[in-house]
Amino acid sequence: MLNFTIRRLLQIPLVMIALSIIVIGLTQLLTPEQRAAPYIRSEQQAARLEQIITERGLRDPFPIQYGRWFSNIVKGDLGYSKASNKDVLATIQERLPNTVELSLVTAIPILLLSIWLGTLSALHKDKLIDQILRVVVVFGYSLPTFVLGIVLLAVFYAYLGWLPGAGQLDILNQFAVGDLKRYTGMMTVDAALNGRWDIAWDALQHMILPAVTLLIVLSANLVKVMRNSMLEVLTSDYVRTARAKGLSSKVVNGKHARRNALLPIVTLGGFLVIGLLGGSVITETIFAYPGIGQWFVQAALQLDIAGVLGFTLLSALLVVVMSTVVDLLYGVLDPRVRFY
Amino acid sequence: MKKTAKKLATLSSLLLVSAALAASPTDTLVIQSSSDVPTMDPGVTYDTASSALVDNMYETLITYDGASLTKLVPLLATKWTPSNGGKTYTFDLRKGVKFHSGATMTCADAEYSFERNLVTNSGASGNWFIAEALTGTQSNAADDKTVTWARIDKSVECNAAGQLVFTLPAVDPAFLAKLAYTGQAILEKAYSTKIGEWDGTEKTWKDWIGKDLTDSELSKKPNGTGPYKLVRADANNHLFQAFDGYWGKKPTIKNVIQQKVPELAARQQALLRGDADIIDGGGRSVDEAQVKGKPGVTWVDDLPNTTSTAIFMNEKIAGANNALLGSGKLDGKGIPSNFFSDVNVRRGFSYAFNYQGYIKDVQNTKGKQRTMLMPDIFPGYDPKVKTYTFDAAKATDYFKRAWGGQLWKNGFVLTANYRASAPASQTAMEILKKNIESINPKFRVNIQAKQWSEMLADSKKGQEAMILIGWAPDYADADNFMYTFYASDGYYSPRANWKDASVDKWLKQARSTINTAERNRLYSLVGNRAYEQAPYILVPAPVNYTFYSSRVSGAPLTKAGFNPMTSLYWKELSKK
Repeated sequence: MLNFTIRRLLQIPLVMIALSIIVIGLTQLLTPEQRAAPYIRSEQQAARLEQIITERGLRDPFPIQYGRWFSNIVKGDLGYSKASNKDVLATIQERLPNTVELSLVTAIPILLLSIWLGTLSALHKDKLIDQILRVVVVFGYSLPTFVLGIVLLAVFYAYLGWLPGAGQLDILNQFAVGDLKRYTGMMTVDAALNGRWDIAWDALQHMILPAVTLLIVLSANLVKVMRNSMLEVLTSDYVRTARAKGLSSKVVNGKHARRNALLPIVTLGGFLVIGLLGGSVITETIFAYPGIGQWFVQAALQLDIAGVLGFTLLSALLVVVMSTVVDLLYGVLDPRVRFY
Repeated sequence: MKKTAKKLATLSSLLLVSAALAASPTDTLVIQSSSDVPTMDPGVTYDTASSALVDNMYETLITYDGASLTKLVPLLATKWTPSNGGKTYTFDLRKGVKFHSGATMTCADAEYSFERNLVTNSGASGNWFIAEALTGTQSNAADDKTVTWARIDKSVECNAAGQLVFTLPAVDPAFLAKLAYTGQAILEKAYSTKIGEWDGTEKTWKDWIGKDLTDSELSKKPNGTGPYKLVRADANNHLFQAFDGYWGKKPTIKNVIQQKVPELAARQQALLRGDADIIDGGGRSVDEAQVKGKPGVTWVDDLPNTTSTAIFMNEKIAGANNALLGSGKLDGKGIPSNFFSDVNVRRGFSYAFNYQGYIKDVQNTKGKQRTMLMPDIFPGYDPKVKTYTFDAAKATDYFKRAWGGQLWKNGFVLTANYRASAPASQTAMEILKKNIESINPKFRVNIQAKQWSEMLADSKKGQEAMILIGWAPDYADADNFMYTFYASDGYYSPRANWKDASVDKWLKQARSTINTAERNRLYSLVGNRAYEQAPYILVPAPVNYTFYSSRVSGAPLTKAGFNPMTSLYWKELSKK
């Protein structure tokens, strides 16, 4: 298992180099004029387009542009992101903890709820509760995130006034947060460690609507998979044998069936975490939540190549690490799995 | 199970009851915008999002007087004296002005600020026009070898009396207006040097030529003399506080927070709930439908618009085998590269555009047909110059005369590009297409979307046949528009390739005199000549509007006090 883990971790730099060549290579399909677009903010600047292209070296051959980027990477400089007006590394450092925080608040409820509802639906197959859950799943599955997000915002913030609107903190706390000593970059945690429970509470409240949006949209698929997996396991021979041996339904369903039904959830759950950490781009944008997803949207829209590259590399890192974790978890859940 | 449900219910109630949802405090102005702030370095500020912040942190030597576009008043200067026939300007600087760092402003700081702009003068900046005034060329030293350190150094100096002296190579009637531009704000030399910016010496100036300052150290750590100082900036927020050491009248609003909220619906809800005071709208039709008339919202309409937009008819379409030309001949399957060089074609197209229809459909009736390609509130605008109207009969008449009758007989296929994701541009082109094609079934206009930067680049090479572009002012002077559009060596010349010797002569004369009446007369001549020659189809200008929380008030937010050349000055606002 150790060898397997080391081998997988060693793949990371190779994956990243390959990805960077592909991404930078793809950007070369754009003309220098198109790649200069992020630096042009007014028609007047466009009149000096050629000067901007020369100053940025956008007509240089691909190897030179890649070499320039790579030599900077070696020095720890991931470039400057136009979308965030900050260095890419500083942007990731600032925004990733926010996304991690939102992911933590979201992922665990999603997994627990999905497993519970999927199991419930399977155990009550074709009964009323199953029918209702299936309708809810279809609803959640087909509802566009931006529609749900805006509806939740309109109802709970604008109409009822129960929850705060877009952003990470209320206005007064925006000023107060500058005094906080930052330990983790996560607002709730840092505020709590500073004894500023009011700020922690405020930040937590601002996460409710984005988290609920993600919960509804992302749970649907997991509930469906859990239900199907559970149904398959419930009709298997060993479950029948367990029942024949006189074990109670609670033990059979909970211990024998559900544990094996969880295998596909582990895979999907792994990708769920990758997705959340990679930034729930639409949700973060709607709620003006300052995570890396919101940054990526802006970077992509603005042809911010350094930003897109930084985000891509971060995502690649997360994918490789989480895939490794998922594979290892498989081994824990299913002793038949061997590592080579 | 029941216990869990009970706990969840309790937690939910707690959340809902305790949500801190008070409207924004009275001492805090909350601005929600849709876009990023590209830079906070005045030396490269050349967009509205950046200047909205920079203008409140930094100050220029002079500024516009309230809503006036013609009267300039001292700001960091106390007075100025022109001499040497308008080629030398001597400025007395205000005493006791402090930077946010605590240092006192000196003449050396002002000299440094201008020299920094002349040295760097990157493509992304708006320094080309101050460079033109002070060094005689729009270029920096990398692109124009005549720009030397001596020339830069000599153009702006401090004399023994501590006055700032500008020496111009030639008279520039727009010079003072150029000084009021955000980019000419005064920086602190010692502070800038300390944080890693150019040190202001001849020894290092070459290292800074053409350097893009967008992400400079100064952009990250601004330090101006303005009424507000930056307290903190993070992913979505810029926080400002009134500067205690400000030399002028203390602002009423203590805190300002500028938040980036990309989603329009979220911004609208924040405004309507009182959490935001000023927001970016979504365009007239959206804002009129969703914000206008709502409780707590003040709507101000019929504000001046200072952009000018035209459909360009390129008289010399470049590019070998340019696909836009089709067959490249007047054979009914394409157009020759000099298609628009016949004035009858240009007049025919000008009569074929439905100006009033555009105002009604695109601008919700809030549009204005202008006589010249410049803002109608600028000095030099002549409302008496004739305008084209939509007239299919006259268009037919001119098309029949064009190209000795060959155009009418053979027809043509013209391909025009418009800026992708710009509905107003697309609609303008569609209006033109529909009307032209209805005049003669042999006429065909194909329109296609194109990415903006690429379209601008191709048009600069003269490779676009017909495009729609606008211009926003850098300074309140007719020259900024008239020379740009109409001069044969103006910025937009390669896009139209229209050349008129008289117009060139008049524009140059207007540049070399400070006599306002004479300049106005010359611009009228240009306007009339342009009407006759029809190098452009003048797209009606939209009417500006603004809206904001009724809790906020101040002169710049009123029709009488609104100045389209300046940012919103927070120091002039109050909130209840």
